[in-house]
Parts: sequence; C-alpha cells; structure tokens
Amino acid sequence: MRTLALLVAIFAALAVLPIGLRSDFWLNAVMLALFSALIGQSWNIAGGYAGQFSFGHALFFGLGGYAVAVLQVHLGINPWLGMAVGGALGAGAGAALGWLTFRYGLRGSYFALVTLAFAEVFRILANSVPFTGAGEGILIPLDPHPAMLQFRALSGYYWLLLGLTFACFLTVWWLERSRLGAQMQAVRDNEDAAAAVGVDAFTVKLKAMALSGLFMGLAGVFYTQRYLYLDPGLAFGPAQSVEALLVAIVGGIGTLFGPLLGAFALHLLAEAAQGVLGDVPGANMVIYGTVLVAMVLFLPRGLTSLRQGGRRRRRRRTKDA
Amino acid sequence: MTNGTKGGLPRRAFLAGTAAATGLLAAPSLLRAAPEAIKIGLIHPVTGALSYSGNQCRAGGEMAIADINAAGGIKSMGGAKLQAILGDSQSKPAIGASETVRAIEDGAKGIVAGYASSICLATTQEAAKTNTPHVVDVGVADSIMERGLTNTFRFGPGYGKIARDAVTSLDAINKAAGSPAKTVVIVHEDSAFGTGTAKLLSTELPKHGFKILKVIAHPTPMRDFTNIALQVKAANPDIIIPANYYNEYVLFARTIRQQRIKPMAIYSVLGGAASSYKFVKDFPEAAEGVMDTNHWFNPKSDLAQERKKATEAKGLYYTYEVYLTYNAVALLADAIERAGSTDHAKVIAALNASTWDKSGMPYGPTKMVKGQNTGAQPVNTQVQGGQIDVIRPAQFAQAQVKFPMV
Repeated sequence: MRTLALLVAIFAALAVLPIGLRSDFWLNAVMLALFSALIGQSWNIAGGYAGQFSFGHALFFGLGGYAVAVLQVHLGINPWLGMAVGGALGAGAGAALGWLTFRYGLRGSYFALVTLAFAEVFRILANSVPFTGAGEGILIPLDPHPAMLQFRALSGYYWLLLGLTFACFLTVWWLERSRLGAQMQAVRDNEDAAAAVGVDAFTVKLKAMALSGLFMGLAGVFYTQRYLYLDPGLAFGPAQSVEALLVAIVGGIGTLFGPLLGAFALHLLAEAAQGVLGDVPGANMVIYGTVLVAMVLFLPRGLTSLRQGGRRRRRRRTKDA
Repeated sequence: MTNGTKGGLPRRAFLAGTAAATGLLAAPSLLRAAPEAIKIGLIHPVTGALSYSGNQCRAGGEMAIADINAAGGIKSMGGAKLQAILGDSQSKPAIGASETVRAIEDGAKGIVAGYASSICLATTQEAAKTNTPHVVDVGVADSIMERGLTNTFRFGPGYGKIARDAVTSLDAINKAAGSPAKTVVIVHEDSAFGTGTAKLLSTELPKHGFKILKVIAHPTPMRDFTNIALQVKAANPDIIIPANYYNEYVLFARTIRQQRIKPMAIYSVLGGAASSYKFVKDFPEAAEGVMDTNHWFNPKSDLAQERKKATEAKGLYYTYEVYLTYNAVALLADAIERAGSTDHAKVIAALNASTWDKSGMPYGPTKMVKGQNTGAQPVNTQVQGGQIDVIRPAQFAQAQVKFPMV
C-alpha cells in the first residue's frame, strides 16, 4: 500500500501543478515528460513485465491516432468516442500481432523485428490509402472545446494526459500484485519453466500485448488531439517506438516507477543541455547522448537500481552492525 | 555659517544640484537612446533530419535582423533593435510547438517558423493561443493557411499555387516547342509535400493533354534509385517530374544519367536539388538542362544580388531557405515599424495591410488575403552551362528555354 500511496501522492502533486505554475513552457515541458512516461509504461507492460521486447510500438500509437482523426474528420464521430475506439484498436492490434507472432513461437530479436516490420507496413499503408490523407496527412479542424477533446488552455490537455498516465500506472501497480502480473513475470524469466507449472504462456503474452497496445493507442489519440495533425511518418515512424523503450530502459524496465523516472530524467537532461548550449545547433544533443551512454554503461538496470543499491547497502550496514 | 559661501547656495551644493538637474533632464533622452529590444522567435529544425535546411533558415533570419539593426532598428519605436530568440524544433512538430511557447514566454513579439509544413502547423497553432503574429517562412502546405488562424501569415507561395503554375508553365513551354511532349512520369517522396504535389499534378496535367504514365512514390531517406529508374526507363516518358528533397533528388538525377534515360525534359516541382547551387557545382552533368518550378529571387533585383553576395561572403549558398526566412523576418519587422508598437492586434492589422516591396523576390508588393501573400509566385529555372538561370516568367528571365533537351 505504501507504493500506491506514493503513486497517488506523485500524481496528486502533478495534478495541482498547473494551478501554481505560471509558465506554459514549463507546463508543456512536464507534459512532454508525462507523455514519454505514458508511452514508456505502455511499452514496459509488454517489454518489461512480460519480457516481449518490441521495436514497433508505434503501430499501436499510430492506429490510436488515426482512429480518432479518421472517425472525426470523415464520419463526424465525437473524438471522446474516437478515443475509446483508438484505445480498443490499439488493444486489438496488440492482441492480433501477439497472436500472429506467438503462434509461430517467435521470441526475442525475431519478435522485435516482426513488430518493427508491422509498424513499417502500416506506415506504407497509411501512405497509400486515401482515407488517412496518404502522405499529406490528416488535419483535424480547430475547435477548442472540451466536448471536441480540444482545449483553449494548456492545462486542459495536461489534465487529460495526467489522467491517462495515472490510469496506465495504476494498471501496472495492480499488475504487480495480480495473478496475471505474476504470470507475466514468470513467462519473462523462463517461459518453459512457467509453462511447466501450468502457466498458459501464449494467453499471458497476448494479454500483455493487448494491455500494452491499449495505452499506446490512447497515447496516439492524445498526441493527435493535442497537435491536430498526423501523417504516416509521425504515426508509424520509429521515433515513438524508440522513445517508448528508451525511457523504460533508462528508468528501469519491469519496474513501476522506472518509466516515470526515465522520462523526467531524459527531459530534464534535454532541457538542461539546451539551457547551457541551446543556440549551438546539435551541441545539446551531444551532451544528451554522452550522458545517456554513461547512464546505460554505469546503470544498466536503470535509474531505479540506484534506490535498490542504496537499500542493499543499508541492509549490509545493518547486518555488519 | 554656511559652507563655502555667505548667504547663498554653497558651491559644492550648487554643482551637485546642477549635475543632478542635468542628469534628470538628460535622462529621458538617454532612455530614448536605448529602447527595449524587440524579440523575435526564430524556430527552425537546426538538428535532426531537416538540419541543413533549418540552419539555412536560421542564417537567413539572423541576417535579416542584423541588417535591420544596422539600418537603425525599428525607427517608429525609437530605433528599437530586434533580438532573435533562437529555437530548435529538432525536426519534430511537438518540439516546435514547445519552442514556440518558450519563445513567447521569453518575450517574443512575433514568431518566424518552422520550415516543414508539419512543424508550421504546430507552431502556428501554438502562437494562435496568445494571438502572437506568426510568419511562416517556407512551409508550403495549403492547409497551414486554410485553418482560419488570424495570427498566421505566409510570405511565399503555397504548393497549390506552385503546382498550378508549374502545369501552366510546362504547357506553355511544350506548346512553344510545337507540343512534342505527351507523356509524363511523376516520381515523388511520400510525405505531405511530395504526395500533395503529385496529387495536384495528376489532376491538372491531363487537362492540358499530358498522359500520366506512372506515379512512383518513395520514402525519405532512399538510398538506391535503380529500381525506380528502371521503372521510368520501361515507361519511357517524354517528361520526368521529380518532387523530392535534396539527397533523393541528387541520387535520382544521377541514376537517370547512369541508366542512360534521356527524356525531353526533367521538369521538377519544388525540386530539392534542381535549383541548388550545390547540386550544380557537385554534379554538373546530372544537373545540366534540368528545369524547375521553385521559390527563387528576382535575378534582376540589385537588392537580391546584394543579399546573395552577403550570404556567400558568410560561406553559405543563397538557397530558398535563406531568402524566404530573411524576407519573413523583414516582413514582420516592416509590420512592427508601421504599427509603431508590438501590440499583437496592431502588428496583425499591419501585416494584413502590408504592401511591402523590399523583398528582392519576383512578387511585387505584398497583398495579404487571409494571411497569404497572393502576389507570391514561383518561377521556372533551368541549369544552362553550369548556371541556374530563370527562364520564366518573361520579365524575370535571364535565358531562353532549352526544350527539348535531346
């Protein structure tokens, strides 16, 4: 329960941020970090807890984004409903992709490559069919009313994103304590051993992919409503997939707070680097890259391992005493 | 007893008082001498996939600010200097939006951004929330100007205008040569710019009697054009129309030459390299004869030639990114000058009423309709003898059209 209390406290503190924070820039910076945390945690469900490393989570992101855009622009369906459809489509695509790949026993790098390929196939499809706007992309008409899932003030988008991120983190908190979560971790650690004790690895992995796809799809919906424009490169390109796994890896994969920690650390680092060397093109990226390499080298299990290391040292000191 | 003088004002006190009074009287003029700088946000993709173009844009914007400041700043505001707030969109719309917010919070009174259409959509939308005047530098997608954002202006033409002019010009060039060309293959990159252009061309060209044999899309980046060149060779068109970015354009043009494909013309629309000095210098054989419909300066304008020299003196090519961003900043500065204020509503009103004619572009005075400069137009260029010459419209032409090439 202490973990839940901490989670609620963090999100409660984040929820009141727009009231005290005067700067839209900083609110936007926190939003970008929260968005990374959301896609990082979505990836973490499949990659961190169930051990299914995907390089193509942009597939679910893009489907969610296109669902809300296409339904709204071509069929006049309210984006709140589009949001539900986007999430469901993400979940369905996760399950379908899982069914196709796990059925043929694809694991590890083979699974990763197939997910990458699927995202690329959908990028090409979105480029080719007219209802997605093809290469020109799809533009949602500006109508800043909450009923249209558009907000005049940045805080509206912020609270929407915070709600989605909280739901995702709460789900992972529940997973850590649930039978399904335990089964996912068993499959991740040793699939054959898990199967030997009666875990239906196929179904467990399928559920993990569906859950992961659901939140990634919702992230796609949020992105599309925030920027009101989506094209195949933005939707299915590798950028979202890389960001999702990067924040989880930097923060600590298979941990509840890892993606949140990773997202804020990376965005803080990017902002700090830009603050120091903002006007020299690319210099901030050099600092960002160098620190990132150092973090991966010296903290291969992510930032959360710092806390675990500290806890171990304290335990050792207590024993020695 | 008083200090120093009898019965009058002490000398020291008199001197101190005089100095203070002089200081007080002089203070307003001193304050006038240093009015507060006017900040302009320059948001460009200086890192990431679009970094070359982004850096060229930034250079153009900074040159405009330096020139305006050297000429006395904004005179209607006491000679206030312009100051750039530089932002890097990292070639991503979301970061472009974030940088726009940052620039506005740091005091930017106007925004000039963001090169790519997708980034412009995000930056204009973000600036609209505070009604901050935003001048789009390059972004050619028509949708940028069709959203009803009253803060958004574009100095250059959109691709609807460019594609329509391209078709009209091609038709005129063909007819002048006795209509030898009848078939066309379009090769385009698959994002908004290439796809939109190809779609417009596919609709418009048949109206002028051209038959579209093939429309071939390719991703960016693309490392090998052999297969596409072979498809083009099999179709054997009279005219090839490429619409892609610099690297892909160069590769495609070189592959066409390697495969010994000899159409009557390579006629580009917003060709990434067709009107590029770098391309002509590095690959003169591939570039020779290539025609393009693109942004270009007025070669007969002394102002444009001066700016070209100044750009080249900095070791940069005078590319469309440089002069379009330069002019976007200068247009905004002119509006602030006429408004005599940085008040958003006044600057926007001044932009709407703009008749600015110091651009060195083949546009004439600006005439804004719903934020779009309707005087803006592309021109046709052709590489002839290692030089890029304007061939149409006639009043800006430096050379005669060479068509067919073979």
